[in-house]
Amino acid sequence: MTTVSTSAPAATPASTRSVAPLGRLAAAEVRWVLRRPRTLVLLGLLALVPVALGIGIALTGGPGDGDGPGLVAAVAGNGLVLPIAALGLALSLLLPLTVATAAADALAGEAAHGTLRGLLLAPVGRVRLVVMKAAGVLTVAVLAVLVVAVVGVVTGMVVVGGPGGTMITLSGTTLGLGEALGRVALVAGWTIVQLLAVAAVALAVSAFTEHPLVVLAAVLGGLIVFGVLAAVPSLEWLQPLLLTSGWTAGADALRDPLPLDDLASSTGRALVYVVLGAAVTVWRMRRRDG
Amino acid sequence: MGRRSWVGAGLGAALVGAVGVGLVVAPAGASAAPPLPPVSPEDLVSSVIRAEPGAFAGEVEVDNALGLPAVPGVPQLANGTSTVRVWSGGEGRGRVALPSPDGERTLVSDGTTRWSYDSRDRTATRAPAGEGRDGPPGEVAQDPTAAATQAVATLRQTSTVAVDGTAEVAGRPVYQLVLTPQPTERTLLREVRVAVDAETRQPLQLTVLAQGSGEPALRVGFSEITYGPQDPSLFTFTPPPGTTVRDAPARDGEQRPDGDRQGTTVGDGWDTVVIGQAPRPGEGGPQDGQDGQEGQDDPQRPEGAPDLSALGTPVSGPWGSGRVITTAVATVIVTDDGRIAAGAVPQQVLTEALAR
Repeated sequence: MTTVSTSAPAATPASTRSVAPLGRLAAAEVRWVLRRPRTLVLLGLLALVPVALGIGIALTGGPGDGDGPGLVAAVAGNGLVLPIAALGLALSLLLPLTVATAAADALAGEAAHGTLRGLLLAPVGRVRLVVMKAAGVLTVAVLAVLVVAVVGVVTGMVVVGGPGGTMITLSGTTLGLGEALGRVALVAGWTIVQLLAVAAVALAVSAFTEHPLVVLAAVLGGLIVFGVLAAVPSLEWLQPLLLTSGWTAGADALRDPLPLDDLASSTGRALVYVVLGAAVTVWRMRRRDG
Repeated sequence: MGRRSWVGAGLGAALVGAVGVGLVVAPAGASAAPPLPPVSPEDLVSSVIRAEPGAFAGEVEVDNALGLPAVPGVPQLANGTSTVRVWSGGEGRGRVALPSPDGERTLVSDGTTRWSYDSRDRTATRAPAGEGRDGPPGEVAQDPTAAATQAVATLRQTSTVAVDGTAEVAGRPVYQLVLTPQPTERTLLREVRVAVDAETRQPLQLTVLAQGSGEPALRVGFSEITYGPQDPSLFTFTPPPGTTVRDAPARDGEQRPDGDRQGTTVGDGWDTVVIGQAPRPGEGGPQDGQDGQEGQDDPQRPEGAPDLSALGTPVSGPWGSGRVITTAVATVIVTDDGRIAAGAVPQQVLTEALAR
């Protein structure tokens, strides 16, 4: 704490930032988040997604020709596609629900318990408070995606199996194990960025309310509204603004050669949401008093 | 820290958002027409014919506003935008990927064999590379200049052919070759524009404009193109494990039955009307004397051919009766006695042709 200036609450973040305390704060927050039973239950449920998918496909041989939802039909006999299909399925609702829960607990939940007031009174910069809370949500997002991806890879290789540890792309080419795992990692990283966009917006909502349910309702309602807007043909011009309209890009990782356009543009869109959400959160938290 | 700084922060956030969304959303902005040396239509066409198709990789965007009726089983024909990824290795080698949200159809030609792979049902279809691909270049390669002059002269009988300035397509400077029908032509089309790469003389974009609409009815063109040698592994295809491999049936015969091929044409130029027999599988040759007894509910249509009987609106006249299907650029009449008349013309021209 040697470099912390005494005028911490009002000072700009640049003058108060010091590596060790922030890390310590973030570690404390992460520990606090991971000790919540609901976080662990949600992570456990997420782990069941690829397992259930994998077992279902292994037992039934997958859905019939071309009538499977999303990529599920591509998983049959092609286990390494399972993590990508599972991430795509979970991204539609379960993963956003998980990060929204974490974001709702981070600020609105603390406010509901009355504990946010203590944090606001503590000699910790408001920006650092937001950074610390964001670190907790980020951890949940990364863990949730990793759980689905790792369990998906293991389930895919053990339960579904595949042609000798290779992945068959949608283009009909065969990728080796290393490249296949690289594709899974790419989708996982891309999913994390998309989730961070959801998390940033959820944190911003969370900064404005003291009812965690409002955050959950706002995020899930927002996702549904985005889906409806995307389905209205006359609102096609709105598509590039909607976060969810880029969420089909995950399937691009299964094409060969890898088309990066949609993955990159949806990542850029998600980063805009992250910046906006973070800015609103910081702006609101610097003037919040209870 | 006054209130003003919060306002500033808010404005900054809004600015970041606007700029960010703008960067993400905005496509490559329209740019001014690049200055290029003038070229006559004949020279342009002959250079296009002479140009050797080289290796390239690109993305083709299809912007379809043809107004085709929704044919069950062929959703790609409906209005909308779709993207196709194309690789060419020259010498008849190529790869085309037609992505859909949860699958992909891949066409690969290695020069001797053509493969078609569908990820939905994991089937690969194999066919020998047809001669059709090599035929046209071989014929016209004899004398591109003469061929081009003749082609332009033929077009000039019914259309105005002009090079209408320059533009930029997929980041490449292009000449715009414009075909406009003569005022006497009774056609639904207003003009056809072909954008030709100024350097490689490869056609990059085709735009079809219909009467009475400012928006193109069809625009097919590269949104991205990179010239240069491509990875040869792109042009080979090994069916992955678990794939059903089929040999394609003789497709040429099935797709264009004789009755269709021996159709007659009425008129010339833009208001040409093609009259043929509706395809009937398993019965070679043109069908005569069907007299509507099979009606329009013929269940035996060739595999993959859309059922046209449910489309269109009924019409009748001195020529008989049938159904008319109208789109932005073409009209088709399927008569009850199995004749098909089609052309880029209004309905009246079709009925006149049928009445002959």
